[in-house]
Amino acid sequence: MASSQRENGNGVSTFLWNQMPVIALIVLCVIATLLSNRFLSPININNVLMQGAVMTVIAIGMTYVIVCGGFDLSVGSIVALSGCISAMVMLEFGIIPGIVAGIAVGAAVGLLNGLIVTRLDVNPFIATLGTMVMFRGATFLITGGRPISGDEGLPLPFLNFATERLFGIPYLVLFPIAVFIVFHWLLHRTAYGIRVFATGGNTEAAFLAGINVVKVRTSAYVWCGTLAGVGGVMLCSRLQSGQPTAGSFYELTAIAAVVLGGASLFGGEGKLYKSVVGVFIMVVLANALNLANVHSYWQQVAVGVVIVAAAAADRLRHR
Amino acid sequence: MTGSPLAAAIDISKRFFATQALDAVSFEIHAGEVHALIGENGAGKSTLMKILGGVHRPDSGEIRVDGVPVRYSSPAAALEAGIVVIPQEMRVVPAQSVAENVMLGQVPVRRRFGLLPETDRSELRARAADLVGRLNLDVSVDTPVGRLGYAERQLVMIARALGRNARILVLDEPTAALEAREVERLFDVIESLKRDGVGLVYVSHRLDEVERIADRVTVLRDGRKVGEGGREELSQQDMIVLMTGRDLEQSYHRGGTRIPGDILLRNDDIAVREGEVTGLAGLLGSGTTEMLLRLYGGLPGRRGATGYSSPAQAIGDGIGLVPGERGLGLIMAMTVRENIILPNLDRLKTSVGLDRKAIDKLVTDLMESVDIRPRDPDKTVRELSGGNQQKVIFARWLAGHARVLLLDEPTHGIDVGAKAQVHKLMDAFAGDGGGIVFASSEMEEVMSVSDSVVAMRDGEVVARMTRDGDYTERALRDALGG
Repeated sequence: MASSQRENGNGVSTFLWNQMPVIALIVLCVIATLLSNRFLSPININNVLMQGAVMTVIAIGMTYVIVCGGFDLSVGSIVALSGCISAMVMLEFGIIPGIVAGIAVGAAVGLLNGLIVTRLDVNPFIATLGTMVMFRGATFLITGGRPISGDEGLPLPFLNFATERLFGIPYLVLFPIAVFIVFHWLLHRTAYGIRVFATGGNTEAAFLAGINVVKVRTSAYVWCGTLAGVGGVMLCSRLQSGQPTAGSFYELTAIAAVVLGGASLFGGEGKLYKSVVGVFIMVVLANALNLANVHSYWQQVAVGVVIVAAAAADRLRHR
Repeated sequence: MTGSPLAAAIDISKRFFATQALDAVSFEIHAGEVHALIGENGAGKSTLMKILGGVHRPDSGEIRVDGVPVRYSSPAAALEAGIVVIPQEMRVVPAQSVAENVMLGQVPVRRRFGLLPETDRSELRARAADLVGRLNLDVSVDTPVGRLGYAERQLVMIARALGRNARILVLDEPTAALEAREVERLFDVIESLKRDGVGLVYVSHRLDEVERIADRVTVLRDGRKVGEGGREELSQQDMIVLMTGRDLEQSYHRGGTRIPGDILLRNDDIAVREGEVTGLAGLLGSGTTEMLLRLYGGLPGRRGATGYSSPAQAIGDGIGLVPGERGLGLIMAMTVRENIILPNLDRLKTSVGLDRKAIDKLVTDLMESVDIRPRDPDKTVRELSGGNQQKVIFARWLAGHARVLLLDEPTHGIDVGAKAQVHKLMDAFAGDGGGIVFASSEMEEVMSVSDSVVAMRDGEVVARMTRDGDYTERALRDALGG
C-alpha cells in the first residue's frame, strides 16, 4: 500500500522523474550494447546476473534500514562473518545447519546493530561504523585469517547451488527473485511496511499515532543483518569457501544502489524494486567499462561520479 | 512622550496573498520608553515586528530611524540601524561559552607579532563580563550556554544586543516561558535599559504584565491599529475590549445543551465525560500541550495519572490526539489513505497483508463525511491545505471509533471556513457520546465550543468554570492574567 501512486503527480515529466533509475539502467544497457557486441552475449548476461545476485539481497535489507530513517555500514563485514561461520558449521554438522548458522549470525548481529542504535541512541552512522570494524575483526579471529574450505572442500550440493541451473538460469540468480518477492510484499503490502515508512518519514508523528517506533527501527536492522547473512552464505557457495576478506566495500555499493534507486537518506521514501535497479546500474556500469577496456582505476572514478550525480539529482528533485 | 522618536513606522501596510496582515499601521518608539504591542492571534503583531526587524518589507509606508527614512533589505541592515529583535526561539550556540555567544559576530581581534590575527580572548571575556554584569546575570562567562536555562539564554541574547549598541530592543512574548522570579529579573533589566535610554517594544498576551511595565500601549486587531494610549489612559478592560471588539460580559452558547454521561478518561486535573467538551484554556507556554500529552501517554518516561505509558495504550482505549503542530500528527510524505489507517492497521490486517477492500471503503466514506478535499486518497498529505490536513487527523480517529479526542489548538492557522467545519466535527463527535478536551489560547473560541473550561497558567490549573457559574470571557481572562 506504500503505493505506486505515492509519488503521483501530473504529467509525463513527473513520471519520467519517478522512473529515472529504470530509464538510466535502460540507457546504460543500450550504450553498453553499442560499445561492445559482447554485452548481450549469454555468457556476459550470465556474468552480470551472477554479479548482481548477492548485492541484490544485501541492497534489499539496506532499503529497509534507509526507508526507516537509518543507515548500516556493517553489512560487508556481516557478509564475511556469516560466510565463514556458515562454512565452519557446514564442515562440522552438514549443509542445512551451516546455512541456518550463517543466516542466524546475520540476524543476531543485525539485532545488535538495532539495539545499539535504538536503545543506546547512538547515531546509526557511527554505531555501524563501529560494528563494521568489530565484525570484521571477529571474522579474522575466528578464522585465523585463513579461508574456510576444509581438506576436501565444502559439500558438493552446496557448491552446486552457485553453478547449477534451472531452465538455464543459475539457482544463485533465481534465489534473489524469491527474496525480492517476499520482501516486496512485506514492505509495500503489509501493515508492518506502512509502519516502517511512517517511522522513517516522521518518527515523532509515528509514535503519537501509536506505533512502537523502537521496535520498528530495530526490526529494520534485523532484516538488514539477516539478508546480509543470506548474502554471505550465497557468496560462500560462489567462492567455494568462507573468505574472511569477502564483502569488502559491499556496504558502500549497497548504499549507493539504494540511493541510485531514489530512496531518501532522510527516511520515509523508497521503493524496493528501484533499489534492485540501482544494484544493476552499478553492476552494468562496471561491466560495460570492463568490456570497453577502461582501466579499473578510471572505473572507480566513474562509479563515484555516478553516485554523487544521483544524490545531487535527488536533492534537486526535492527542492 | 518627549522629543522626537528613535524610530517610527508610518502607515505600514503589508499583504500576504488574500490576507491584509497590516493596514496603514503607525507605531513610534521613544528613548527610555516601553511601548507594548498587543492583540489577539493574527492581529498583525508578528508582521509588524518582522518589518521592524528587516525580515519583511512593507508594501507601503516607511520606517524612519532618527527621523530619516530607511529602506533596509535584511535583518543585518536592521541591526546596523540599532534595532534588535529578541525572538521566542533563542538563537544561541549551545556548545559555546556565554562570552562567545554574547560577542558573536564582533569578536575582538589582536595581531600577534603585529601580524597574525587571532581572537583576543581576555578582551572577549572582559567585554562579555561587563555586558552580562549590567543584566545582573550571575553566571561565569565561561559557562557553555547549553547548560543555561531559557531565562538565562534570553539574557545572553539581550547582552548580545547591548554589545551591538542596540538602541531599540523588540521583545517577543519574553515571559511566555519564564517563572515568576525570572519575570521579576527581566523586568528589572527592562527598567535599567530604560534608564540607559534604550527604546523597548514589548509584545505580549499578558495584560497584567503590560499594565505593569509599559509606558505606552498600541492595540492591533485584524491588521489595523484600534487604539493607542499611555499606561494611565488604558485600563486592562479597555485593552481587552479593543483587542477583541466584543462585549465580554456575554455568555456564549453553542447549539443545544447535552447531558454529560460517564467519565471516559481522567487524571488529577481533568475529567472527560461522554458527550462533553472540556475547554483547556491557556496562553502560550501555559502547559496545555503537556497536559494533553500526559493524558495520552505521549511524554516518554512520565506516566500520567491516566496510567498510559505510551500512545499505543491510549489509542487502544479509544483515545485520539490531534497535536498542535500538524507536523507532529501527519507523515507528510505518505498518502491521505495511509495517514488515516496508520493507528488502525491491526484491524485492517488479513493473513496475507491488508484488507484493501475494507480500507478503500473506510477511507472513501470518511473522506466524504469529514469532507477532505480533493477526494483523492492517493494524494500525499503535504499537498493538502492546512484545514484539510487537520481533517485527515480527525478522520484517522473516527476510523478507529475513538471515544475521546484530545485537541491541541485544532483551528490554529486554518481559514475561517475550515475552522467552522472543525467545530461542526467536534459537535457531531460529542453529540454521538464522545468526550473532547479542547486546548486553545483563543478565549472566545474556548468559551463558545466548551461545556466547561479548565484554565491553566505556568503549568498549573488556576481556575475551573462551568456554564452554571461565571462563564464569561472576562472571568477567564482574569484567571489567565491576560
